[in-house]
Amino acid sequence: MAAVQLVRLWAPTLVALAALSLLALLGPSALEAAAGTAAVVLLIAAGYRTAVTFRAVRAWGYAERDRDLLVRHGLLVRRLSIVPYGRIQFVDVTAGPLERAFDLATVTLHTASAASDARIPGLEPAEARRLRDRLAALGADRAAGL
Amino acid sequence: MTGPAPARHRLHPLSPLLHSAKSLAVIVAAISWQGYARLGTGRWLAVVAGLLVMAVVGSVVSWYTTGYRIVGRELRIDEGVLWRRSRAIPLERLQSVEVRRPALAQLAGLAELRLEVAGGAKTEAPLAYLALAEAHRLRDDLLTHTGGGAAAAAPPVPAPPLYVVRDRDLVVAQLLTPELWAAPVAATFVVYQAVSRPDWSLIALASTATALLAVIAQPVRRTLRHWRFQLGRGPAGLSVAHGLVDHRQQIVPTDRVQSVRVVWPLLWRGHGWLRLHLDVAGYAPGEGGAETAVDTLLPVGTNDVARYLLPVVLPGARIDLTAARVPPPRAAWLAPLARPYLAVEVGDTVVAVGGGVLTRRLTLVSRPRIQSVRVTAGPVQRLLGLATVHVDTAAGSVAAVHRDEAEAWWLAAVLSTPRPAPPAAPAQPPGGRPGAPPA
Repeated sequence: MAAVQLVRLWAPTLVALAALSLLALLGPSALEAAAGTAAVVLLIAAGYRTAVTFRAVRAWGYAERDRDLLVRHGLLVRRLSIVPYGRIQFVDVTAGPLERAFDLATVTLHTASAASDARIPGLEPAEARRLRDRLAALGADRAAGL
Repeated sequence: MTGPAPARHRLHPLSPLLHSAKSLAVIVAAISWQGYARLGTGRWLAVVAGLLVMAVVGSVVSWYTTGYRIVGRELRIDEGVLWRRSRAIPLERLQSVEVRRPALAQLAGLAELRLEVAGGAKTEAPLAYLALAEAHRLRDDLLTHTGGGAAAAAPPVPAPPLYVVRDRDLVVAQLLTPELWAAPVAATFVVYQAVSRPDWSLIALASTATALLAVIAQPVRRTLRHWRFQLGRGPAGLSVAHGLVDHRQQIVPTDRVQSVRVVWPLLWRGHGWLRLHLDVAGYAPGEGGAETAVDTLLPVGTNDVARYLLPVVLPGARIDLTAARVPPPRAAWLAPLARPYLAVEVGDTVVAVGGGVLTRRLTLVSRPRIQSVRVTAGPVQRLLGLATVHVDTAAGSVAAVHRDEAEAWWLAAVLSTPRPAPPAAPAQPPGGRPGAPPA
């Protein structure tokens, strides 16, 4: 999962850095300083984010309890979502091209509320499928609905 | 299902005329003053007449090919000339049905029916226009089907209204809004500019005046919209009727109510007035604005009126909090002024979350309707040992901010235990009136 996040971080960063350095080397002298500074700042920010990514990925966790599912994530702002099984409307398993390259998948829960944001990225496909099937079955069992 | 499908009903024959009247306004506006100047009166009339005839023909054809009927547990609407469309609306998912009478329709004795469907991203196109009696009958049919109960054999006896808002109170309340108080300030500014700088052109003056009018338009529009605000208990839910030029009557099935918001604006403190807003599943807050939402439960009223109305809409809801908890004193670092007002009270069926300093607010969320609970803690909050609890419903999210950490976990645990939905309230009060409303 960390690999996916790092690729997502560095791909656009490298593109931006390349553009900025081209600008610095070939552009008018007025822009040189600005472009150079921007490139340095970008590099530092990306470096910091890289270091944090490993801890951030470890901070994603989920727990299947008796009646509900807990999902926690976030380092600076710690977030925890509690979704009772009976409230789950449907469960998505998605895998973008990057995730598929690393053989991972994301499980997303949907309730009737747009603000419920329970999402578990970076699962192995088998585990994702198991989770989805279990959640869907439990949701149907304990449906209380609207 | 046995027997032939029920016959399709047509909309009222006057509908094409009313639609064409609306088209006429659009046509004239589209041609605009510039077109008029260029064409001259004779040709302008000819163009307008030609376009109007096309509009009328289009409306008549559309009316002829549109039909609706209730088949099983669905409302089916067939429409379209070249592309035939058949919409099937499952009656179980109907959130509310509104009978709306715009100005022209009031003159003609017609009404249009607007439907709100749960999970729909937008309002369904309205059924326009029906005779008033037929509109009421259709609405009752649709709603009694959703309730699953037997359709009433006799026409429903009109119940006495639950509460009627005095128009005088409404006008005074809208006079006490920030927009109207800002208007004189802005007006003096404009006058001062016009007087002190003679080179200020007429156009600048006109545009500023228009902007001023737009600001004042809001309270005026609200007054017109909430004129003769009447609440009643219908056979399938709460009935809310209001409006002067554009009369609307909506029936909200009470089991669709997600939460009720109580607002005490600063300028109304002198009178002790408040507003009540309803959050119903299927409406995104703010979406469609004045058009669709049965947003306002009470435009203006006293605490006593609120105490009388709340149990009808949300059983177990109270505006007087007796066992409320406030954030601990260290939360004053993050919310110094608001801390005493950030009360949370967890009741049996309702959880109350308060907030606001100048404009006090109270959000009452129905516990069976809670979809999920989230707990968040930012870095400063973690330093102080605080957390915020978010309660999510189908109509939005409410946050109880800066709670003590232990209390936050307790709240999350208690609120995320799904509660069974309360038994459906009887359609009619068992006998007589539910109790006299306050004067």
